[in-house]
Amino acid sequence: MRQPVLTALFLTLLCLTLDCVAASGRVFVTNEKSDSVSVIDIKTNQVVKTIPIGKRPRGVGLAPDGSAVYVAVSGENHIAVIDPHTLELKGSFASGDDPEAFAVHQNGNIYISNENDAKASVFDPHTGKLVAEIEVGIEPEGVAISPDGTRAIVTSESTNMLHIIAIPEHTVVNSILVGARPRSATFSADGKTAYATSEIGGEVKKVDVASGTILGKMALSDDQAKPKDIVVSRDGKRLYVAGGRANRVFVLDANTLDVITSVAVGKRVWGLAQSRDGGRLYTTDGVDNQVSVIDTKSNSVVTKIPVGEAPWGIAIDD
Amino acid sequence: MNKTAPDSFSASRHRHGRRRGAAWIALCAVFGGLASAPLAAAPVLRVRIAFLGPLESDSHAGASQGIAEANAQGKFLGLEYRLVEAKDMLAALAAEGTAIVVEAEAATLPALAAAAQGTPLLNVSAEDDSLRGLCIPNLLHTIPSHAMREDALKQWRQQHAASKAQAQAWDGNAELYAGTQLNKRYSDKVGRAMNDRAWAAWAAVKLVADTVARLHSADPTALLNALRHSLAFDGQKGVEMSFRDNGQLRQPLLLIEDGKIVGEAPVRGVAKNGDLDSLGATSCIK
Repeated sequence: MRQPVLTALFLTLLCLTLDCVAASGRVFVTNEKSDSVSVIDIKTNQVVKTIPIGKRPRGVGLAPDGSAVYVAVSGENHIAVIDPHTLELKGSFASGDDPEAFAVHQNGNIYISNENDAKASVFDPHTGKLVAEIEVGIEPEGVAISPDGTRAIVTSESTNMLHIIAIPEHTVVNSILVGARPRSATFSADGKTAYATSEIGGEVKKVDVASGTILGKMALSDDQAKPKDIVVSRDGKRLYVAGGRANRVFVLDANTLDVITSVAVGKRVWGLAQSRDGGRLYTTDGVDNQVSVIDTKSNSVVTKIPVGEAPWGIAIDD
Repeated sequence: MNKTAPDSFSASRHRHGRRRGAAWIALCAVFGGLASAPLAAAPVLRVRIAFLGPLESDSHAGASQGIAEANAQGKFLGLEYRLVEAKDMLAALAAEGTAIVVEAEAATLPALAAAAQGTPLLNVSAEDDSLRGLCIPNLLHTIPSHAMREDALKQWRQQHAASKAQAQAWDGNAELYAGTQLNKRYSDKVGRAMNDRAWAAWAAVKLVADTVARLHSADPTALLNALRHSLAFDGQKGVEMSFRDNGQLRQPLLLIEDGKIVGEAPVRGVAKNGDLDSLGATSCIK
């Protein structure tokens, strides 16, 4: 019991110094087909509110200071802003055509892929202004930002690439060919390594960010696997990969990429989010309309929470 | 046809690369190195893909769309693709391209393949089964064969006895697996819906370009080898595609009834494990 208390204390102090808002203790899930966001209370694992948000909500993310939840409303070409505490809709700003996945930079800016325009856009959510546009390959999808904030990765699904983008220059400094239809990417804690999933290739690649060299690859043996989201464990030792049609989350060794185990969840698992302490992994199970909660110590499902139709994105405010 | 790496080809490539390099040095000097030089500083590898067939056709439009998409990738890798429209086989060979995309009568294809020996010839229109049975080494087919379509319908009718569905390679209403995006890119440019031949020609160019990018070489022999043995192509139908030994591209087919997509073959629950080889012949006629 002591550790969580200390962690909470530490976070409170950190927040005081950073002038951030105390976490709401909620999980936010976009429901692509019911045009809503399900809000889950972390303590009870119950949906406490369903917020109507607009057509085809997909990407979801938190402001670095915890003051806002952003939702990409794909069917309406804007980003909606929710207050995580009051759960009121605070407003929205235009995001370019068909916003999908995005990542929030430590400085607050939003990096977003515009699937139909072969570009990534950078927005300042406080002003709603477009900061930069970056040309990338066809059907850009996954977006990740390095821990030090100097690099972004945008995957382009139809050109099979990871584009490494320098921040703040917003230039593409390298484009790395990976397996067919790269969907999602993430950085290691030191920012030197990137991991990416390829949905059609059914594989995970490990890439040296500076040189663009492929350091390793692992084909997921389950041929139903259409991997999507990928997350590095807080200790950096494990990768969690949402297996899509395989209906399971694969747990990989981050160093060797060997599959250590897999955890059966609901049908079409797409989205993943990890708790701050790394103890819990939340999944969106697209066809089963639920969120599965995985205990990462035992690699087993603790509970399944019914949400709206076709849950897609997931973000934790803890 | 010159079957080794064509000299004129590589010479023009180097000339171009130097010119471009010099221009970039000048540009970089002007902007004090602010411009993102790494992308353009490397010599550009120019890749020609010949198109042999009618110009006002769906297959030509599909191939052109494939080139546009190849260049959208190539610009990040120092690769530049061009479709060379050829009025006959002589012109197609003279283009000294890395591959030839062809819409022609089935009966003419074996001779064309022989003339192009060593260079991949991609058939985007002829559906004859006998052509697959011949197993001509450099003749590849991205359009499905008759037998593939028949098998798709047979599978479908096991579950839907009264169905009058058609089996297609593609449909303008395809939405899954980013079908929406491909249809939009194509119809925005061409002004009509993507159909089977347009898809087959798009796929032919795109899988050639994908492979050229991975090899970073436009050598036809290396390309043919990679296409036959290590292709893992995303044809935007949700699965990895590769070529059978008989030259046919493995692919799912869409089942269309009354203008609507009602299913997909291999049919789930009929074909074992969604086996793409349950559609059409896989072997050669001895």
